[in-house]
Amino acid sequence: MSILNKLDAIAKTRKALLPPGIDPFNVVIDEIYSATEASICGQRVLLAGSNNYLGLTFDRRCIDAAQISLEKEGTGTTGSRMANGTFAGHRMLENELALFYGYSNAIVFSTGFVTNLGVISTLAGPGDVIIMDADSHASIYDACRMSGAEMIRFRHNNMVDLDKKLRRLGSRAENTLIIVEGVYSMLGDCAPLKAIASLKRKYGAWLMVDEAHSMGVMGDHGRGMAEAAGVEQDVDFIVGTFSKTFGSIGGYCVSNHPELDLVRYISRSYIFTASPSPSTIASVREALRVIQENPQLRTKLWENAELLYQGLKRLGFELGPDAGPIVAIRVPTKDQTMLAWKALLDKGLYVNLVLPPAAPAGLSLLRCSISAAHTPEQINYILDVFAEIQPLMAAPE
Amino acid sequence: MTTVQYEAIFQQVVVLLQKYAPQPGPIQEDTELINDLGFDSLRVMEMLHDVEDAFDITYPLNTMSDLRTVKDFTSQIQKIIEMS
Repeated sequence: MSILNKLDAIAKTRKALLPPGIDPFNVVIDEIYSATEASICGQRVLLAGSNNYLGLTFDRRCIDAAQISLEKEGTGTTGSRMANGTFAGHRMLENELALFYGYSNAIVFSTGFVTNLGVISTLAGPGDVIIMDADSHASIYDACRMSGAEMIRFRHNNMVDLDKKLRRLGSRAENTLIIVEGVYSMLGDCAPLKAIASLKRKYGAWLMVDEAHSMGVMGDHGRGMAEAAGVEQDVDFIVGTFSKTFGSIGGYCVSNHPELDLVRYISRSYIFTASPSPSTIASVREALRVIQENPQLRTKLWENAELLYQGLKRLGFELGPDAGPIVAIRVPTKDQTMLAWKALLDKGLYVNLVLPPAAPAGLSLLRCSISAAHTPEQINYILDVFAEIQPLMAAPE
Repeated sequence: MTTVQYEAIFQQVVVLLQKYAPQPGPIQEDTELINDLGFDSLRVMEMLHDVEDAFDITYPLNTMSDLRTVKDFTSQIQKIIEMS
């Protein structure tokens, strides 16, 4: 008996799952050419699964800002936010985020994952209740467990279930934090935030929205689903990441509650980890400016998203419920999903392979995420390749 | 603990377990959810929605790690019913 025995099952599953030649869960990008093209296994591929919604990873302005900072401020902070790791740029980014959202407070963390760990586990504690959407991200589940609060799930996007669970709490609803995501990462479907905000008000609960996949994508100003639904004033805490639309890495929380600032003194994932490098912060600050000053990028993103969603729909694929930058194609079986994923890659197209339990409701998915940087020709190429491999995804007899 | 109520809950739990168990088999009080019925945490969570509807309760996720046997599960449901 060894502590490693428990990994035997994973080893067996991996062996049974992997197609020859490549591990889909450990893909190495040999070379990256642009926001939409790279080399994998020595072959040039089109990237259609990178969450690079506005294509800012290769934006000249963001690269220049990072390069200037790198020369001026060095490669890293070598310290946590609480010690020597808060440079002027970190504070300026927090001020700019607060201003962008129209909220009074903002905190920047080192990744989106640790933002959720730090904020949720600090805000909620023993004696409190967290009600979360069942399809929430792993970072939300882990944060809720760390908090010590009572954890309750409601059925994904099901307002009847959320209402019922809030009602059963009685006066405890006032000590309850509802956590949802603006757009859900696997199927790309949106939270019904108007209804959620209404239930929050009805029961006097608190509301947190994770805008990881909706910041820069949804809303007239790109502030996310809360803006698109017109409920920003009902949202107590918005969390987000810099690793998608911003094209970098890091995370943040904004709020009108001044107590958010106290999280800096308690959150272990803020205190005991190195802060984002100054060049990262510089590129994020520039990306925030680009997002605000270039709404045409969002328009282009949505045009591309519609083109892909409608094109795949016309081909007869079974897709997620909402047209948007995340387009998830349902495949009948795990084996077919693996085969189709490999066939796409062999034809020069990279998408995300998602198998249960990562996908909700036991689904197997080929998940595409589209970018403003994709050209119409590239989208047509994606559609052509999917049409070619479609027979591999037919429902079994 | 009232035996009658426990028995009634147990009977309903057996029906739900039979519906969701990845490895169906005879279900007794000492049947283990993971080792005997093949449940993993994801499958248990899928079943919880039905459990909540059947008993009109809210089942907190925190208590899931303490579940080993069908008896543990039934007793936990009974406890939640009594507290609501």
